[in-house]
Parts: sequence; structure tokens; C-alpha cells
Amino acid sequence: MTAKHMKKILSQLLLASTVMLTACETKFDLDIAQGKTIPVVDAWITSAPGVQQVRITETTAYTGTAPANVISNANVTLFDLTSGDSYPFAFANNVYSYDPGSTNSIGVIGHVYRLRVVLNGQTFEATDTIKRVPVIDSLTVEFKEAEFGDEEGYYAKFHARDPEGANNDYYWIRSYRNTLTTRIRDNFAINGAYNEDVSDGIKFIPPISEGITRGDKPFLKGDKVIVRIASCTKRSHEFLDHVDTQVNNGGLFAKVLENVGTNLVNVSGGDLKILGWFGTSGTSFAEIEIHE
Amino acid sequence: MKTKAVLLALFTLMLLKSQWVKAQQQRYTVSGYVKDDQSGETLIGISIGKTGTTIGTLSNEYGFYSLTLPAGEHELQYSYMGYSVHKMTIKLTGNKTIDVKMKRSDSQLNEVVITGKEQQKNINTINTSVAKLDIAELKKLPTLMGEADVLRAIQTLPGVTTVGEGASGFNVRGGNSDENLILMDEAPVYNSTHLMGFFSVFNPDAVKNINLYKGSFPAEYGGRTASVLDIRMKDGNNQKLQVNGGISNVFTRLSVEAPIQKDKSSFIIAGRRSYIDVLMKPFLKGDMKDTKIYFYDLTAKANFKFDKNNTLFVSGYFGRDVFGFGKEANINWGNTTTSIRWNHVFNSKLFMNLTTYYSKYDYSLKFTSDDEQDKQGFSWKSNIINYGVKPSFTWYLNSNNTLHFGVQGIYYTFKPGTGIGTEGDSKTSSIVIDNKHALESAVYLDHELKLLGDKIGLQYGLRVSGFNYMGEGTAYYYNDTTPGVRKRLVSEQHFGAGESIKNYMFLEPRFSAKFKINNTSAVKASYSRTAQYMHQLSNTASATPLDVWTPSSNNIKPQVANQFALGYFYNSPNGSFEASGEAFYKMMDNQLDYIDNASLELNKLIEADLLASTGRAYGIELYAKKEVGKTTGWVSYTLSRSERKTPGISGGDWFLNRYDRPHNLNVVLSQELNKRSTLSANFVYASGAPSTFADARLEFQDWDIPYNTTDKRNNYRLPDFHRLDLSYTLQGKPRKRWKGEWVFSLYNVYARKNTYSVYFRQNEDDATKKEAIRLSIIGTIIPGITYNFKF
Repeated sequence: MTAKHMKKILSQLLLASTVMLTACETKFDLDIAQGKTIPVVDAWITSAPGVQQVRITETTAYTGTAPANVISNANVTLFDLTSGDSYPFAFANNVYSYDPGSTNSIGVIGHVYRLRVVLNGQTFEATDTIKRVPVIDSLTVEFKEAEFGDEEGYYAKFHARDPEGANNDYYWIRSYRNTLTTRIRDNFAINGAYNEDVSDGIKFIPPISEGITRGDKPFLKGDKVIVRIASCTKRSHEFLDHVDTQVNNGGLFAKVLENVGTNLVNVSGGDLKILGWFGTSGTSFAEIEIHE
Repeated sequence: MKTKAVLLALFTLMLLKSQWVKAQQQRYTVSGYVKDDQSGETLIGISIGKTGTTIGTLSNEYGFYSLTLPAGEHELQYSYMGYSVHKMTIKLTGNKTIDVKMKRSDSQLNEVVITGKEQQKNINTINTSVAKLDIAELKKLPTLMGEADVLRAIQTLPGVTTVGEGASGFNVRGGNSDENLILMDEAPVYNSTHLMGFFSVFNPDAVKNINLYKGSFPAEYGGRTASVLDIRMKDGNNQKLQVNGGISNVFTRLSVEAPIQKDKSSFIIAGRRSYIDVLMKPFLKGDMKDTKIYFYDLTAKANFKFDKNNTLFVSGYFGRDVFGFGKEANINWGNTTTSIRWNHVFNSKLFMNLTTYYSKYDYSLKFTSDDEQDKQGFSWKSNIINYGVKPSFTWYLNSNNTLHFGVQGIYYTFKPGTGIGTEGDSKTSSIVIDNKHALESAVYLDHELKLLGDKIGLQYGLRVSGFNYMGEGTAYYYNDTTPGVRKRLVSEQHFGAGESIKNYMFLEPRFSAKFKINNTSAVKASYSRTAQYMHQLSNTASATPLDVWTPSSNNIKPQVANQFALGYFYNSPNGSFEASGEAFYKMMDNQLDYIDNASLELNKLIEADLLASTGRAYGIELYAKKEVGKTTGWVSYTLSRSERKTPGISGGDWFLNRYDRPHNLNVVLSQELNKRSTLSANFVYASGAPSTFADARLEFQDWDIPYNTTDKRNNYRLPDFHRLDLSYTLQGKPRKRWKGEWVFSLYNVYARKNTYSVYFRQNEDDATKKEAIRLSIIGTIIPGITYNFKF
């Protein structure tokens, strides 16, 4: 358990109890200068078969409701450095994509990949490796009554075991409701728990295995629960963990806003800066439909 | 070294001078202890003077005083606010021991006319930047949920701020919260709050005296750069059995004190426990029945006066916060301290106190799966333990010269963290971060002298401190890299027990001077240099109970602060009113900062994520206080700035600290309505805390990540903070022994939603909406009722 998670739990406990009557969150009107516009690369290649996509947008005002501007004039290529294959991504419908056919995967476990993005005459590159991923043995659901800030409904749990050995394994676990476009929660694990060099080869511990349901909106009858485990490299895991801290910030132990980093390096030596990340994952999925 | 030589020369000169004076006329010394006549409690800071002159002294932390006078007849006067002046005539034909019992005056309403000089008044003491708080004053302050609180009270003093309501710790003159040394009966306390910041761990029923040194530390104090909060606990009534207690919204309190042997020895045991969990129980269902949320503390102390020259004090403290979430999570933390002190009077001029102490702060977290077939768990423990010894001597050379000197040693062990994962009954794996060890030592000498009657007062001294970061343990060596990026490990080396890994030594000169302009005003100046070898690793808005302390090492340099202060002090002729203005400038080196997304937990390479900053703080503090009359209270206003510069953060430019509060105003007023009832009010205003706001967002993998394209830290301010609290105290009808009082309080009277922090997130119901959210820890008016009793 990292202190980050504990602090979150503590902070929730605290707010939910003693100062339950007094602490409050209200909307805050931001009155700040418009930020700079910087390109953002959203590239996460997985071992899942079918189309792989890369999205390139611009940063936009935080509270703006419109989606970010899409950058369409980039040139995106993925290189499999292990096999020597390369995959040119084509722009259509606001994304850059490559389709190897619905049963084929361009992501292979153990392979090293390089993403190359050419934008406004400058070239950006990043590399990542697809790591091994455990299968999800099963998903179970349990009906729970409302308690302590959690609503009444179905709570899901996944059962999977971290494979033993080979140093540390890093995972990003995401759950969805009904389709892969409705994300529910994200959890980040190292081996079967939260820290390096411990919990190797164990079943994912409860805060992770049960961390796929939203307490304020548990699953309902008829819902389909989908869980994805995505393996990561240490670097990508650190990036995701940083993102998680920033997007789920709050409470008594709120972190200072710290900008997330990027692994895209300008190899042309120009001064154009871009943001975002290129990550690769081996993925495994499981789903369950909630009946009676 | 040069400073040292000059100081030594000066010192020798002063000594010679005093010897010379001594040769002129036969002199004798009056010494003894000053006590309260009802409780036998020794009294700190009592003014003892020869009537009609400026000759005098103060009783020390143990109530001991020593005053050297020419042979012959003298009228002595013992005085202290809230006590009737005690006068006596003595005939000195030899050294004399006089223990004095002082009577509390019935009411502070009587404007006591004091003909002599009150030594404790700020125009008569030498130090700048010291704030004292009487426990009676503290209890008059309006409370949060009915509980009188030491740390809340000191936040009403000038130069003291906090990062926000409910934050643990406090900030003194632009210093971080880990730069305060908090001493409870001389043992350091590492976590000063319960419930992560809402209540301090000190039971007000057991506290006798509070001193806050904000800058011009006497050479005796060291180890932290911003302040020393010196809390002394009561000794216990050695005259009769006394029981104090109270019931409030949050705590129930009970203390018992009684003589073990009248006039010679006594004890006090004081306990508190929160009982919100008891009240909550009936409303919890299912496995939530096991939810635990409570905190408690226990203070116990005993003293034994063996003879007139030897007194022994044993004090202990144990406090704990316990949080349990169903059966699944169990979290607890707390401090344990023990100190044993021996006061020895060698002769009427030489006083010694020998303190040995033990202090421990620890926490433990446990997570277990409630699934019977599928048993799993994870537990995490961490602690810091200190063993300390400090003999300190006071040598009252004559009425104008006093020497303080001593030696101090602290042995530390740090257990940064052990994590153990279990599955089933057999499978365990663990991560153990090596323990760390260190020895901190210091010698000090401090000379206090008065010149030209009492026109000029000087206190100067030198503290030499050393720190040895040592084995058994592992030292890690890193490559320097681009600032702001995690450093790369180059090598590591194991050191055996006691082997030195890294040594530091600092000369810490201290200097204070007072010049008395006339009978009502004085000007004072001070300089102090302090070194700090302990660092708390925390990169959240306020420190959490889980943030570990770490020693200076081969990678972490000790923090050093240099501070100058200049002040003007005024006391009204009748002693009922005082005012002061102080300006300070402080430079700090090696304050810790962190790379972005630093990993501070269970990380053996934690030092790779740390950055060193340079800090500066300056400001003006104004303070006015009325102590006598139906209306009493104080006003404090601080205008200040606190900033730092860290390579790798904010483009390497100066940026504001989160605790930078340019304007900070506190008004405390207490109005005695009649003999039985008092109305008190407290108003606080502070500029909003600096904060980093997002001016953009990144769309990434269905997340909206807040981003600050300016890369400047703390580029905006939260809204201003202000709050009014009121309380009404009603004394019960006087009975034979039983004394009761009701305290009704309203915290945050006009229900302001003060902003604690602002963060950025997607709307919980509509992910397409992104919002800035303001968290108010206290968003409404909070009433409090307390019933206090005493018999």
C-alpha cells in the first residue's frame, strides 16, 4: 500500500466522519490567463487485435467544454524494433490509425516499439516495450447495501494473479461499464500490490481487485462489467501514476499541481515542444453481465 | 573560528569584571523555589526583585531562582500577573535559601500596583521574538468543538501562520512546519496533532507553561531552524487531591493530581479520549460496525523532592489515533515520550538540570481481505525513535551575570518503512527499507549580562552542533543530473554499526541585546544561526501522519538559517498594557523540495527525488496586549513574505511558499460581563495561500489532465481567509469544593467557506465537464459545548 492510497482512504474517512457535517466541496470560478497551446500526443499501443489508434490534439482551456482541437497534419509511424516491421498510421475521423485486420495484433509481448511523429517539420520519437500480462481468471459481483458513503448496488471483483519472477511487473487496470468507451475506474499495481520488490506472484490484493466499481455509482442489474489489465514498463507506469495523482487530486492531502512529463523527444533538435506519452501494453480482458 | 575567539575573549573579560565587582563588597545569595500556595506547583518566570531598584531576576523553568545582593537588609518582592505581590524583608549575613509560596489573586480585575520592576515584562527581558502564553489565557480563547487547544492558540500570535484550517503543524516566520521543534517536558514530539490536524496532542489540563521562540534562540536550543515550542507540563498538586475534567463535543477529559507526600512529592495523570465513534456506532450497519475512529492521549508525571537540593521528575506521554475501516483497514499512529529529569542545586549559585528522554513516533497500516478462503493482507510500519540526554547548568554569578552551559546528545534510529504482503497462511513477501541511524550532539555556552543598572542587557553565546549519519545502514551515491529529474544511482555502500557515513559540524552563534530607553520602552536586536539535521518528507498541501522523517546524509545537507531581528517594546507604566513591533529577515539554505511526482514512500532511493532550495523570509510583526481589567485581549498583525528558489522548479526562479501569507491579523478579545460570565471573541484574517492553478488540460486516454503551461509554481492565490469565533463562559454557582463551568462556543460564526485547496477534475456526473473544485475543510458554523469541572 503506498501512502498515496492510504492518504486517500484516510482523507475520505476523515471527511466522511468527523467533519462530515462541515467539510464541503464547491465549484471554484477560475479567473486566470489563457494558457499556451501545445500539441499533445495520446499514443497507447496494445497487444489487442484490430485497429490501433494515436490521437494528436492541442492543449485547451481547463474548464472549456469543447473537445480539444485535433491536429491533422502530423505524420505518424510505429516501428517494431524487435521484428523490424513498421506501421504507417493514416489520419481519418480525427485519429491516426493502423488496421492489421480484426484478428491480427501489431503489439507483441516482449517486442520493443518506437513511435515517430513528424509535426511542422520536426520529428519526435519515443520508445516503449510490451511486457507480459496475466490472464483474468474470473469476475465476480456481489450486491451490497448502501453504507458509509457507498451507494446500494453491485460491486465487482476480478480474480487474477501476478506471474512470479522476472523482477517487477507493472500494471494499469481499467474498468468499464457496458462498452470500452465508458471508463469507470483506474488502478495502478506493481506485482500483486503497490510496491516494488514485494507481493510477487500473489493474487491482486483487495483494494486493487475490488477497485473496479465506483462507490457513488455501483453497477446495476443489466450492466456489463469489463475489466482490462494492461502491462506497462516502469517508466510508463510512473507516468500513469503521475496522471492518476493529478486527475484524482483532492481532499486534505491534495498534492500540489505538478505537470505530467512526456517521453517524446524532439530528435530534430528544434525548439518545438510537445506533450503526451507513447506507451505500450500487453492487455487481457474479462467481462461479466449482471443478472439476478 | 574567529567568532569563537572573539566570543571567548569577551567572555573572559566579563568574568574578570564580575570577579572584580565581587571583591569590592561582601555579597550573599538568596536562592530557592517559587510555588503556588494552593497547588504547590512551581512557578516559571516569576519576577524577584529588590523593591525600588532595578536589581532582580526571574525564576527558571523549574521555579528556581538565585539573586546575589550585598550584605545587609533588603526588601524583596515577588510578583507575577494573576498573583498577589509577595513582599518580605530579609537580612543577609550569609547565603540564604528562601522558598516562597505565592497566592493567586481572586481576580485579575484589581489593577495591582507594583512598585518594583517586573522582570518578566518584555522591556526587561533580553530576547526578541519570544512569545509566551499563559494556560489561563489559552483557555479563554474560543474553541473548535469545545476543546481548548495549544496549537490553535499559538496561531493567534504574530509571525505564526498555517497552510490552512485543519492542516497539521504551523509555520513560523516563513519556515516549513518541520522546522519547528516541539518539546513536551523537553522530549521532542514528532506529530503534534490528532485527527491529522484538528486538535493538538497536548491535554490543556496538564499543560503549565508555553513558550514559543521564533528566532533569537538562546544557545541552549537548537536542532530546528524556525522555532522552538517549549511546553512544560504541570507537576501535580502537592497540597491536596485535585480532580479536573470536562466533557465536550469531541473529547472527555479527566485529570487527577495529588500529593504523594505533602510538599515533597506529587503526581498528575491526565487522559482524554474522543468519543465520536461511540456516538456513531448505532448508525453503522454490517461490517461497518467495526469502523473505528478515535484518538486518545494520556499524560502522567510525578515528582519527588528528596531534599532541598534534589528533585526528580518523571513524565510520560502516550497518544494514539486509530482509524479502522470495517475489518479491512486498520491504521493507527501516535507519539510516546518519556523524560526523567533531575534538578540539582550545587550551591545557591549553581543549578543543574539533567534530562534524559525517549521519544517515539510510529504508525502502522494494515489491510486484510475479509474473504475467508482468500486471505490476503498488506501491512506497513514505520517509526522514528530518539534517545536523548542533556545536562544543563545555570551559574548565577551575581545579579548582573548569569551563565548557561551544557551538553546535549541525541541518538536517532529511523525505520523508514517495512511493508509485508501475505497470501493465505504461508506466503509472505516483504520490502524493508534499511533503518537509518544518527547521532546529534551539541555543546553550548551562553552569557547573560546586565550593564548600567538594567539599561543594557546582553545575551550572547555559541552553540557548536555536530551530526554523524552512521551505520548500520547503506549509503547511496548518485550522479548529479538536470535539476528536477530523478538522480541516477551510481553506487551503494554498506556501513557497519557505528561506522560514520557522513559528518557535519556547525558553529551557531547567538546574540541578543536590549537597550532600555526609559521606564516604559526598550529596543532590542538579535542574530541567530541555527542548523537542522532532521527533515520531514512531505509533498502534499500539509504534512500527513504518514510522512516520514529522515536524517541529513551524504545526499541531504543540513538546513541552516540565519536570522536578524530588530524590535521596539513598550510596557505601560502600570503594567496593564504592552505593545511591540519587530522586523525580521531570515535566510535559509538546503530546505528540501521534490521532483515532480516524487516517490516518497517505501522507496530506498528516496534521496534521488529530493532537491535543495534556498529560502528567504522577511516581515514586520506588530503586537498589542491588554492583560488587566474587565476587557483583556491582544491584537497581532504580521506583514511578511516567504519564498524559495529551487533549481528544477518554477524555472529556477523565486516562488512563494504555500505558507506565504502577506497579511495576517488576529484579534482576541475577552470581556468579563460579571463575576460569573465572560464573553470571548477571536477574529482571524489572512491572505489566501499561494496555489498552482491549471491554465490548460491535456486529453489523454479518456482523461483530462490539468496542466500549467506557465510552469510557474504557486502562480495564483486562494481567496482570503477570515473567520470569527465566539465563546461564552459561565461559571457555576460557587459550592464548597466543586467548581463547574459551562463553555459555549461558536466556531466560524458567519459560516464562511474558507478555501483550503483548489483542485481540478472532471465532473462526477458529466465527464465532459471539467471543474476547478474548492475544498473547505470547515464550511459552516460549528457549535461547541463544554462542561468543565474541578474539585
